Amino acid sequence: MSDYTVYLDNAATTKPAQAVIDAVAISLRDGFYNPSAIYKPAVAAAKEIENCRMLIMDSLQAEQVVFTSGGTEANNLGILGRLSNSRQGGRVLYSLLEHPSVKSACQVVPEGFEAIGIPIDPSGRVDLHALDDLLTPDIRMVCVMQVNNETGALQPLDEVAQAIKEKAPGVWLHVDGVQGYLRHPIRLKDAGIDSYAFSGHKIHGPKGVGALALGRKNSLKPCLFGGGQESGLRSGTENTPGIAGLMAAVRDFPREHVMRRLKIHLYERLKTAIPALIVNGPDPQSAYACDHIINLSFPPVRAETMLHALEAKGVYVSHGSACSSRKSRHSDTLKAMGVSQAALEGAIRFSLSPLTTADEIEVAVRATLESFEALKAFTRR
Amino acid sequence: MTELLLVKYAEIHLKGLNRPYFQKLLLKRIKETVRPFALNVEFFDSRIFIRGVQDIEAVIERVRKVFGVHAVCAAVEMNKADFGAICTAAAGMMTGLAGTFKVRARRADKRYFIDSPEINTRIGAVILEKNPALVVDVHQPEHVINVEIRDQALLYTREVPGVGGLPSGSSGKAMLMLSGGIDSPVAGYMIAKRGVVLNAVHFFSFPYTGELAREKVLSLARALSEYCGVIKTYIVSFTKLQEAIHVHCPPEYSTLVMRRLMVRITDFLAEREKATALITGESIGQVASQTMEALAVTDRMASRPVFRPLIGFDKIEIIRLAEKIGTYETSSLPYEDCCTVFTPRHPVTRPKLSKVLEAEAAIPELDAMVAVAVETAELLYIGPDKEEDALSGETA
Repeated sequence: MSDYTVYLDNAATTKPAQAVIDAVAISLRDGFYNPSAIYKPAVAAAKEIENCRMLIMDSLQAEQVVFTSGGTEANNLGILGRLSNSRQGGRVLYSLLEHPSVKSACQVVPEGFEAIGIPIDPSGRVDLHALDDLLTPDIRMVCVMQVNNETGALQPLDEVAQAIKEKAPGVWLHVDGVQGYLRHPIRLKDAGIDSYAFSGHKIHGPKGVGALALGRKNSLKPCLFGGGQESGLRSGTENTPGIAGLMAAVRDFPREHVMRRLKIHLYERLKTAIPALIVNGPDPQSAYACDHIINLSFPPVRAETMLHALEAKGVYVSHGSACSSRKSRHSDTLKAMGVSQAALEGAIRFSLSPLTTADEIEVAVRATLESFEALKAFTRR
Repeated sequence: MTELLLVKYAEIHLKGLNRPYFQKLLLKRIKETVRPFALNVEFFDSRIFIRGVQDIEAVIERVRKVFGVHAVCAAVEMNKADFGAICTAAAGMMTGLAGTFKVRARRADKRYFIDSPEINTRIGAVILEKNPALVVDVHQPEHVINVEIRDQALLYTREVPGVGGLPSGSSGKAMLMLSGGIDSPVAGYMIAKRGVVLNAVHFFSFPYTGELAREKVLSLARALSEYCGVIKTYIVSFTKLQEAIHVHCPPEYSTLVMRRLMVRITDFLAEREKATALITGESIGQVASQTMEALAVTDRMASRPVFRPLIGFDKIEIIRLAEKIGTYETSSLPYEDCCTVFTPRHPVTRPKLSKVLEAEAAIPELDAMVAVAVETAELLYIGPDKEEDALSGETA
């Protein structure tokens, strides 16, 4: 095993920034008071929460922000909280590449609703023609993520919003922004987005905190009930240290970075040396490819073997088609894109952070090429 | 009146002059297994007594899994001189029950003032008087209260069956080839049940298999250790050999050559450990390498018996056993125990020994590679409590 590690699994989680760790520690130590209390330090703790809320509202041009325990809860609240506030039933559209926290929420929609998947094209983007056909008057909600977590495909949100505006005005657009938040800045009102979920630990913040940003105020019902915190939308004593850490993460997230250049460099170096390389998702150079994620297959080497080989060289990446459960070994997203079996079995996701350096990419390239050379001879016979 | 656990042992009763040897081993194993609870365990009068128990359920669950234990009873211990108090306590233990019952007295102290039938009658009468919802049925009672008159009087109604078998260490030592699949832990359990100390051997092919697969094997060894105590576990790095087989041997023979090398390495480790047998989870015809012909070819690599306790079992029977002993769930985790890269599409089912030898001869420096695999095997001590792994980490 190598002493030097290169962490390229930033789509899974990110390393908390030092400022985040400090902010969490200070909040735990000095600002532990319950923000609902009325003495001075508690009022200060409540004020901290509002400061973070303002910062996030500003970063997204949102009307309202509800703090949650993370991306999963934010997606659940955006979808189920909205639908339970809806007077009439109908259909909910969700793209087939959504994260399980969206898909699963769509599978438990309240009575009177029905959820339908929107097909995706081979580059891993929502099929806009299919969406057009599906946008009938009984549609109540559309869920499309900003950046796909497996392939890095940027979704055509402008076109989706436009289609809604033309064919089904007023329909709620929920966007899972977990991979996109701050990396691909977005303004909710301009983009026609009604709810937008994100998570702290994907932006160098702490785990256990996230938020749902809303483009329209007072338009949800809660999913958790209790003391009425967060304007009644999310009961439970506020996660003050998490929110303090989230604030530091949002404030300090590097707005200038070279992720895209490094990602393309990684791709080009590998492609030159390994002609058989397959990209799962959009062309890494295209405008539809996000800056920080690239999903590659190295046939005939299987993903698991490659992951372990890279791990031994200190490079941490992840399955590009993770077996999330025993039932389906490979990701529904890649399958829905029509990716070949060989590519499915070999899919590896490299995901960068704004802090990733050119040296680290160089180490990763060399480790990948060495591993590929060593492993390519060993294929099933 | 004190609460305690009473442990009854099984087959040891059938032993003759060497019975004390078995009793001592069983006592040692029970002491080991309850060590984290810091209890007083002692042998007396053909029974093992565990005193000072706080968490009764947790201790019962541990002790009932020790090979050699027939049953564990949660009992109360009283002064035998006060027979009135014994009757009252017995009636108290039967409170709230309804249906049929019997009293089963056992008078080990033959000087006691009344004999067993008399004890039954007197205690039974008090119980009936206090609890009219009960009636006596001495043949098929729904409830039984046991009263043993020994040094003290012992009363118990609850008897949790143990796993039986012979205490670990009473029958020597064997090397279990532990793959991470469903079968091998069950095979290990069955042989360990007969008092055999297990050493496990796992073949690890990094990077074709990873940390999770290794952890899986260790948790299987841990599950087995609940029955038989700490298991010395060898992790053999098999990657170089596996790659060499892939390069030099005909694909249809590769699995068989691999199995033979695994047996060969295990046999070397058995020599070092002074183990007298190998254990595998094979059953006839389950996969290509487990046909009778294939087994004959792999057997030749071992210089000691290869025990295959599952040889006549169907898969479904093995799964049921795995569920019973608590290894099935771990065995079914999805991490591949042997990467499919090295699984040929068409393995030979009726191998010819000459062809196998030819295939092996084609691998350059095979003996040296086998020697390195044996020498660099990592040794871990896996027990039911993780703290017991402290000795682990040395190279063999």
